Amino acid sequence: MRADALWRFPGARSVALAAVAFLYLPIVVLVLLSFSDGDSLAEWSGVSLRWYREVFDNADMQRAIRNSLVVACTATLLATVAATMAALVLARGQFRGKRAMEALLGLPLVVPEIVGGIAILMFFVLVGIRLGIVSIVLAHTVFVTPFAYLPIRARLDGLNPAFAEAAADLYAGPVRAFLRVTLPLIWPGIAAGAMLAFIGSLGDVVVSYFVSGPGATTLPVYIFSMVRMGVTPMVNAVSSLLLFISLALLTVSYLLGRRYASN
Amino acid sequence: MSGPFAIDCRGLVKTFAGGSVRALDGVSLSIRENEFFTLLGPSGCGKTTLLRLIAGFEQQDAGEIDLHGERLDHLPPYKRPVNTVFQSYAVFPHLTVAENVAFGLEMKRLPRADIAARVMAMLTLVKLDGLGSRRPTQLSGGQQQRVALARALATAPKVLLLDEPLSALDLKLRTDMQIELKRLQSEVGITFVFVTHDQHEALTMSDRIAVMNHGRVLQIGTPEDVYERPTSRFVADFIGETNLLAAEPAGPGLFRLAGGDILQAEPAAASAIAVTLGIRPERAELCASAEGILRGRVEHISYMGTDTTYHLRLTDSGLFRVRTQNRDGALVRVRLGDAVGVRFPPAAVRLLDE
Amino acid sequence: MKPALRRAVLLGPATLWIGLFLVLPLTLMAYVSTLERGPSGGVLWDRHSADAYLQFLFERDLMDRLVLNTDYLHIFARSILLAGVTTLLTLAVGFPTALWMAFQSERLRLVLVFVVTVPFWTNILVRNYAWMLILRTGGTLDWLLTALHLPGPPLEILYTPWATGIGLTYSFLPYMILPIFVSLEKIDRRLIEAAYDLGADRWRVLARVILPLTAPGLAGGAILVFIPGLGAFISPELLGGAKSMMIGGLIQQQFGQSRNWPFGAALAFVLLAMVLLALWAHALRYRRERADE
Ligand SMILES: Nc1ncnc2c1ncn2[C@@H]1O[C@H](COP(=O)(O)OP(=O)(O)OP(=O)(O)O)[C@@H](O)[C@H]1O
Ligand SMILES: [Mg+2]
Repeated sequence: MRADALWRFPGARSVALAAVAFLYLPIVVLVLLSFSDGDSLAEWSGVSLRWYREVFDNADMQRAIRNSLVVACTATLLATVAATMAALVLARGQFRGKRAMEALLGLPLVVPEIVGGIAILMFFVLVGIRLGIVSIVLAHTVFVTPFAYLPIRARLDGLNPAFAEAAADLYAGPVRAFLRVTLPLIWPGIAAGAMLAFIGSLGDVVVSYFVSGPGATTLPVYIFSMVRMGVTPMVNAVSSLLLFISLALLTVSYLLGRRYASN
Repeated sequence: MSGPFAIDCRGLVKTFAGGSVRALDGVSLSIRENEFFTLLGPSGCGKTTLLRLIAGFEQQDAGEIDLHGERLDHLPPYKRPVNTVFQSYAVFPHLTVAENVAFGLEMKRLPRADIAARVMAMLTLVKLDGLGSRRPTQLSGGQQQRVALARALATAPKVLLLDEPLSALDLKLRTDMQIELKRLQSEVGITFVFVTHDQHEALTMSDRIAVMNHGRVLQIGTPEDVYERPTSRFVADFIGETNLLAAEPAGPGLFRLAGGDILQAEPAAASAIAVTLGIRPERAELCASAEGILRGRVEHISYMGTDTTYHLRLTDSGLFRVRTQNRDGALVRVRLGDAVGVRFPPAAVRLLDE
Repeated sequence: MKPALRRAVLLGPATLWIGLFLVLPLTLMAYVSTLERGPSGGVLWDRHSADAYLQFLFERDLMDRLVLNTDYLHIFARSILLAGVTTLLTLAVGFPTALWMAFQSERLRLVLVFVVTVPFWTNILVRNYAWMLILRTGGTLDWLLTALHLPGPPLEILYTPWATGIGLTYSFLPYMILPIFVSLEKIDRRLIEAAYDLGADRWRVLARVILPLTAPGLAGGAILVFIPGLGAFISPELLGGAKSMMIGGLIQQQFGQSRNWPFGAALAFVLLAMVLLALWAHALRYRRERADE
């Protein structure tokens, strides 16, 4: 038996390759079909960008895309700032109520989206907040805060507390110590957190489905209603677009992460 | 009285974990200006905690700290004119070497030109000229250590706190840096408060040493003081080797051991009923059984190059070590199992507190 | 007092936000579930009733008597079953996959983690929609089977619980692989070498060393798959069709066509309780395991 055979388990490799194929096959099929020329949803007939063009010519679709971007940017900004502030406190020292705070920050991950969605919907209706962009932003910020929080917290936990102390020791007040030392050092975590929050907000269907109003829907909600009402191949194109955006963001964050890791 | 002292601590108490850990338990000490002052003690005795109180990273539960006669302990760390060389160096990884050294100067808002000049001077001082644009990750451990030193010295603090700055270095580099640190201290004329748990490092480098245990200072004195004239059993045992003998007073300057032997010691006020006597192994010598103050059998011999230690089992069944220098080569006349005597002058016998 | 103030200021935004827009709404939801339904949807804020919870098991017949109605129980049972099956399937696929990944070179491991993470972060709606394209009658799979000359009746998988199962398994597979992988990667390689050294063969190393040490990852993965599986909305909605509704769809219905807020709130509350119970059981077990060490 060769030495590295000790680390091989018969069958594991085949299952793994099959699993990867399983994970990617539908995505590949979708993207391929999005370039199809025909009117049929699932049959191939010649390459074209026809449906992408249709997406960009469709005013409703454009409005939905714009809404999605506005919501995702705002929610990401709010969630990342709030999460960074919270992480700065929770990563250092012990105090009463710390566990409860951490649980609270994890709560949005635990509550099923559908439950959160209808709860927030009822709340908005009761309080009288009009359903629209604002209500979506409010709800998204809640649900993406943990996405932003976790990488930032992880980065802070891995940070030697002596760096911040050294800054204070060298006459940097709290604000300057944060800006000059802590912030640059946890920056990769903040970037990763913001990225994940953005992807989370951009992709959310369930919560948005409940708290979006007739006037303002996001792209996924729009796609969702298209899929349910009767599909045109335009859905393939716009779904692929959504996919490309997430993929691009993920790749950037992966490469950034690797650059920092190798440093 | 606090005038001439660089640092004056009075009755410092610091507890952790809701009071269950007493890291400092009433520490008072005064450090003179331009002194190389060392805190020495076993792991967990509170050395780091004391430094962190002086630097301002922790707040004491009780007690006061003065710096050059002025109360220090209400100031946040960034307003205290003391700097720290961290055990982990804490050289900022996102800044270059020069930017690290410039950090404190920038925080003090010095003019740019002054900063540049000062950084150059500091890098020269720690022998890092030409490495200013490097990243800390491209430096060796010893070089990072120098950056930390240069950074802490750049703002000319009144007191420099060093927490085991040499513990991460290998033996050779460590010895070099010990000499270097001493040179630096005399060149810049700053008070150094140096933490170590290495007794040799403490003895060779310090002007004075404070020996700590369990959050208390047991003895403060020059290296010679603490080695030759330990006042407590712990200090005698922690610094160098000591034979400890339980005894009770038997007249002025006389003590009776458990086995009945009577020892003579330097006159000291001994009112206690039971005492501990300490005798350094190198202050005792072997002799014929009949001539010895104590008698026993050789149980073990460890040869250590420059000297040899004989481990004796005394007739009253206690243990005793005698160290002799190997001046005449390996001309050893004593063998395992031999019955031998031990003798030493009364001045070699120290009366120790528990 | 100063550190406390700093803490309050820094924790304030996140706490307020989540408290105001999640904890408060959930409390409200629990309250609504005890209210009486309004005549044209909505609720009567001053009329309490247990109707919402009774409705779960009973319905009123023409004589206004309570009769057992198992429709909703069926939906719950189906949800639990589908979530459970999904958990087992992802486990069966996820463990060997993670096992293989964990023993690759470091470079390859990084790439593989990325490869598995990408679907995890790509839109769940899009990914389920892709399965609609594949599974529908005349869809990709059908086309493929025909092209391979495997004649048979046209596929009728879409809009069955099978399709939901495929969608759920697909959606949550990365949730299973990643925690198991993390556990496997953390195992000290020397432990495995020691086991071989002591005469264990490959399968016994797997069963006696690797598997027990991976238990936290397996448990974590199971909880990460089971919980969202239970509350899944997208997969059953797109792939399952009307006859294989799950809890999520049922809840949504109460806020859509049925306009029955109290019942919807009650269902959501029960779902939330089930999720918290599962998490609690997991935490309990995990803590005991840690205490044992
Ligand atoms: N932040 C803390 N929380 C709880 N206990 C602490 C903390 N810091 C120090 N202690 C405890 O206080 C005591 C003194 O610790 P300190 O770090 O001062 O020891 P030290 O003399 O520097 O030891 P070493 O030589 O190992 O560095 C130890 O028992 C330690 O466990
Ligand atoms: Mg220490």
